[in-house]
Amino acid sequence: MAKTPARLNSHALKRHETVVAYLFMLPALFFFAAFVILPMVMGVVTSLFNYTMKNPVSAETFIGLKNYIDLFQDKTFLRAMLNTLILVVVTVPAVTLFSLWVSSAIYQMKEGVRSFFRCVFYLPVVTGTVAVVVVWKWMFDGYSGILNYVLSALGLIDKNIMWLGDTRFAIWCIILIMFTTYVGQPIVLYVAALGNVDQSLVEAAQVDGATDLQVFWKIKWPQVMPTTLYIVVITTINTFQCFSLIQLLTSGGPEGTTNTVMYYLYTNAFSLYKYGYANSMGVVLAIIIAILSAIQFKVMSKDVSY
Amino acid sequence: MKKIQKALALMLALCMVLALSACGGDTPAESKAPEASKAPDTTPTEQGGEPADDVELLWWAPPTFIQDADDPAGTYEQKLVEEFNASHPGITVRVETIDFTTASDKITTAIESGTAADVLFDAPGRIIEYGKNGKLVSLDDMFTDEFKKDVGNDDLLTSCQGNGTYYMYPISASPFYMAINEKMWTDSGAIEHVNLEGNRAWTTDDFEKAIEKLAAAGYNPGVLFCSGQGGDQGTRAFIANLYDGSVADGEKYTFNSDAMIQGLTKAQEWINKGWLGNGVQYNGGGSIELFAAGTTAFEFCWGTSAAGNNAATMESNGVTPISLPFPSADGKPVLEYLVNGFCVFDNGDAAKAEASKTFIKWLCDNTENVTRTGAFPVLQSMGNLYPGDAEKELLVEFTKMYGPYYNTMDGFANMRAQWFDMLQKITGGGDVTELANAAVEASNAGMAG
Repeated sequence: MAKTPARLNSHALKRHETVVAYLFMLPALFFFAAFVILPMVMGVVTSLFNYTMKNPVSAETFIGLKNYIDLFQDKTFLRAMLNTLILVVVTVPAVTLFSLWVSSAIYQMKEGVRSFFRCVFYLPVVTGTVAVVVVWKWMFDGYSGILNYVLSALGLIDKNIMWLGDTRFAIWCIILIMFTTYVGQPIVLYVAALGNVDQSLVEAAQVDGATDLQVFWKIKWPQVMPTTLYIVVITTINTFQCFSLIQLLTSGGPEGTTNTVMYYLYTNAFSLYKYGYANSMGVVLAIIIAILSAIQFKVMSKDVSY
Repeated sequence: MKKIQKALALMLALCMVLALSACGGDTPAESKAPEASKAPDTTPTEQGGEPADDVELLWWAPPTFIQDADDPAGTYEQKLVEEFNASHPGITVRVETIDFTTASDKITTAIESGTAADVLFDAPGRIIEYGKNGKLVSLDDMFTDEFKKDVGNDDLLTSCQGNGTYYMYPISASPFYMAINEKMWTDSGAIEHVNLEGNRAWTTDDFEKAIEKLAAAGYNPGVLFCSGQGGDQGTRAFIANLYDGSVADGEKYTFNSDAMIQGLTKAQEWINKGWLGNGVQYNGGGSIELFAAGTTAFEFCWGTSAAGNNAATMESNGVTPISLPFPSADGKPVLEYLVNGFCVFDNGDAAKAEASKTFIKWLCDNTENVTRTGAFPVLQSMGNLYPGDAEKELLVEFTKMYGPYYNTMDGFANMRAQWFDMLQKITGGGDVTELANAAVEASNAGMAG
């Protein structure tokens, strides 16, 4: 059947729009490909080589999966992976639940008060990591730290504790710092999400005699689920990629108790110049993050309808 | 509307193409060099040896030279570059300041992406590592017999070599030593055990008596810092001197020798008694901060730069430091030292390499530049550059205590990681012999790369 002039015009218009759209996307796509896709592909490829400062990528240095085999026999890497998982398992639920709790408490307050709390919790997010670390370092100092001072004054300790140098406490100190720097954004997001909850549903439930807990669990929680999913995924990724805190505070110590995969990757790449080995860690980390994110999406991204 | 969209899209695409061309193409020399430092377009002058064609060099300069008064970092370097460019037609040097903290990342990334500078100032640890990995130009031709005779110190010359090739041209050297807080040591009576005469060499027994008195007087001892590798040469020198051990023998790492284990065991014992601080939370920088703030009574990571950088803090905290060599069993300390120098990256351009050598020789063979590093000349012919300065004259005595330089041995970076990890476990109460053996085994295994 012959096409009518109107349909031809419509096709031409669509094609033009598509071309224009691609042209608009081109700059961003170029940079995305050059600075994200290409390095990722190169990372995967070079992880198959004994690539060091001395040995460039070449046929002679191709070692297949040896880096990966070595990786899973490397006790330091396994320890770093365990530490990273501890950070994720503790930090992600803590950040999510705490921010939801705070947001629930403040989202119905007056605008000024709500803004104040949002600012307070968001402050660590916009403060430079180095500045945050300097303050925490001072608080955790074994000689003149405020934490030891307060605990001594309260009679809870009789001897100063080296918080960042004690194998029992170091990782919990890291978790505490991560927690304070990570909760800002989720609180802002949750306050916005809770503000968008359909009030007519809440009122209907209350009229039907639902308790506060039932209202939250049956009405609000499902409606903020997309926000929760976003927060969980982003916090998980950020926690897996924790590096600067470790580098600035503990260098992975004491005795490897705060060593993370990202920090171990960094030391292999930039101190020992084992680029191929470091890239294999990056690939493993990326795969783990992708799998976890997929699981989180699968479990949490169910449609909500009434 | 559609036409406007299309035109905009085309413009954006065009911008992209232009940006790409700009990234890929060589920037003309004229646009890179500052107007003031542009060299006249002439052939070599009386200095001789400069290439006939214009050569442009990039110098990466971490904080090296002491600046005048309130001048920001890099001011003196810029003056040097302008002076050099004016006196060396045909070579144009451009200086870019970098900081030591991010230097390693920046340099490693640049090396791998083929964008390294031509000239870099650093210490031998990293430079020789780059050299051994084939990233640097050999400087063998700069180490003439006359030059070596003028240096007159085989250990120092060895520090500039990797696998028998010279990669670093030295400008100055400075010892690492320890410092004590005069007031605390005087108040506690610990000062009685310190030799304040001559080269101030003292013994391990004296040190032990002194730290016992400090602890009895309630002063915080210095810390055996080990949270990371920063300043770790201080802890290695301290432990090695206690019973005349050595970290390495030139071929392999040996810090599990009887003498070293004795030193490590003694340190663990002192920590348990509270005579020595558990420094698992601090690296060299953190430990220095404690000392400068008047929190601790002594410091193992001291040197001219630490003293200079913390002068104001110490003054405001009423801390007067006394410089000492590390205590040793036989009273004959062996000190570690910093050698400052320059290397030339192999960017595949012989003319640039030659011009770089001309530049670094011009920089290093100048007494004012040596004093600007705050350290001591490597060339004996320069003589005493600090006449009348009692502290500097004492440090000249310390320079006679230099030991073998092991920082250029294979696997040095790996050994440092093993060292601080071992110290953390020892300060935590671990078995010294077992930990030292494991760390040495891992360090020597790491020598193979």
